[in-house]
Amino acid sequence: MPKTIVCRCEDVTEEDLKRAFERGFRDLESLRRFTGFGTGFCQGKSCLCHAARFLAAVKGGDDMVSDPPRTRPPLRPTPFAAFAGALPEADAGAEEKP
Amino acid sequence: MATARRLDPLPNTPFQYGPKVDFTFEGKPFSGFAGEPLALSLLAGGVRVFGRSIKYHRPRAPMCLHAHCSSCLMRVNGRPNVRTCDTPCVAGLSVERQTGWPGAGFDLLRAIDVVYPEELRHHELFTSSSALSRMATPYVRRMSGAGELPSGPPPLAFPVERQSVRVVVIGAGPAGLSAARRLSQSGEKAVLFEADALAGGRLLDGATRIEGDGDSTGWQRWKAWSDPATLPGIELLCRMPVVAIYPGRPPTVVAVGEDRARIVQPQRVILCTGSYDQLPLFGNNDLPGVMTPRALDRMVLGHGVLPAEPVALVGDSDETLRLSARLLERGVALAGVVTRRRDGPLVGALQDKKVPLVFDREVARARGGRWIHELELSPQRQREPDRLLDCALCVAEAPAAPAFELGHHAGCRVFFGSQGGYRIAIDDTGRTSRDDIFAAGHCAGAADVTTAIRAGERAAATCLESLAHTP
Repeated sequence: MPKTIVCRCEDVTEEDLKRAFERGFRDLESLRRFTGFGTGFCQGKSCLCHAARFLAAVKGGDDMVSDPPRTRPPLRPTPFAAFAGALPEADAGAEEKP
Repeated sequence: MATARRLDPLPNTPFQYGPKVDFTFEGKPFSGFAGEPLALSLLAGGVRVFGRSIKYHRPRAPMCLHAHCSSCLMRVNGRPNVRTCDTPCVAGLSVERQTGWPGAGFDLLRAIDVVYPEELRHHELFTSSSALSRMATPYVRRMSGAGELPSGPPPLAFPVERQSVRVVVIGAGPAGLSAARRLSQSGEKAVLFEADALAGGRLLDGATRIEGDGDSTGWQRWKAWSDPATLPGIELLCRMPVVAIYPGRPPTVVAVGEDRARIVQPQRVILCTGSYDQLPLFGNNDLPGVMTPRALDRMVLGHGVLPAEPVALVGDSDETLRLSARLLERGVALAGVVTRRRDGPLVGALQDKKVPLVFDREVARARGGRWIHELELSPQRQREPDRLLDCALCVAEAPAAPAFELGHHAGCRVFFGSQGGYRIAIDDTGRTSRDDIFAAGHCAGAADVTTAIRAGERAAATCLESLAHTP
């Protein structure tokens, strides 16, 4: 079926954004929470701009688009081991092991 | 459809790799060249569908080839969700696709895409009673999941180094390398983190040209700039993506590589994080064989891997037109170039070579089953197609999205514009809203490589000046 994909990670289409907007999800954050764009593996690297541009177009101006949704670490998938290794007690713990 | 082939290697590409090595793909013997991105070994060996999408089970294949998207994920050595474009091919790997039933190549769950041509309202599916919801949930999870759990635990030893250094530069593309050079020339010591296997960013693109100051190609500039010997005092760390900046004072920068991590609390940070390539919005823009221009540039010009031809190119930028010309030079068949640019030397050169040029159409949709085989073109601003363009590979250009996230982590002001997307706000000296963080290049809205190089140097100069005023 010919779908126009905005978010490849979560399969969100351009039509999904339009329908969500009509249903009342009219700012970036609620649009994101409802459709799920930007919540997948890549965390919005290939869809956030498309969604923001869509909102700017339907609301009539770039200044109608809010700040981006809060971005939180990590920026890309990161093994837990990296964070476990960063704990102050990690070194001591490793030494105690037989 | 033409089969995949490898072009004769060029002596001057930045991407050089080792001998032929063997690995297994879904249990069958496969081969590639040691050190090349695994995704390219697979494409060169004829693999077309890399996986299936989460909801509609649409086929997925590499789109960005720069470790930004989610379209090349596979299970590698028992680990799910590995970006094959960012994984070097080495002997003995065990590679499998991880989605689809019975498999990713032929997936019966593709029926979901047909049954729901408009919209699958996942919020409302199986929610009429709690019993139904409980029954359906495990199946829905399996159908939409992203692979099985890892076969074993990850390696436990993950050394984390803490380091004290005055300046951190994030991203070794045109802006980051130029900033690092400026710091080095002033005798400043810095760490330069790069996510990719090689420093260079857009300098690694065969279609890049730098204007002014003795014009050069991206590759020439890369050769001159990426040699660590030309950057005394700068520690360049490749394959070490920065995954976080915690916004205290000083900020805490965390970079995590394949088997080690680095934590730095520098006095100054220069953000040169670049941008993410985007695809334009048209029907079936997710079809395998539709890629960004920079993905094709790296794959064909850089690595000499051509999964299929002829290639259709869609875009108006100098880079896309130059890419078309460079593909012709490499003997790649072009299906045509869809562009609004009607004149100029770049367009003239393509016309001289008898490349079909389409000026007054845009892409309405791509067509194909598991791989693209044609583009439907329509008059501009109408979606009714009136023309077809046969092709076996398509690149389509859209404005890149600045990689603003690390600036946002750190609390720097970010703003939106339809032209450039969200980007880090800077003044004309490269200062962000934080006096200890600077930004330059595409992450702060630079439009091309030449501008990014200048911006990197300027941000480094501002950074040095602010350090001089700090006791």
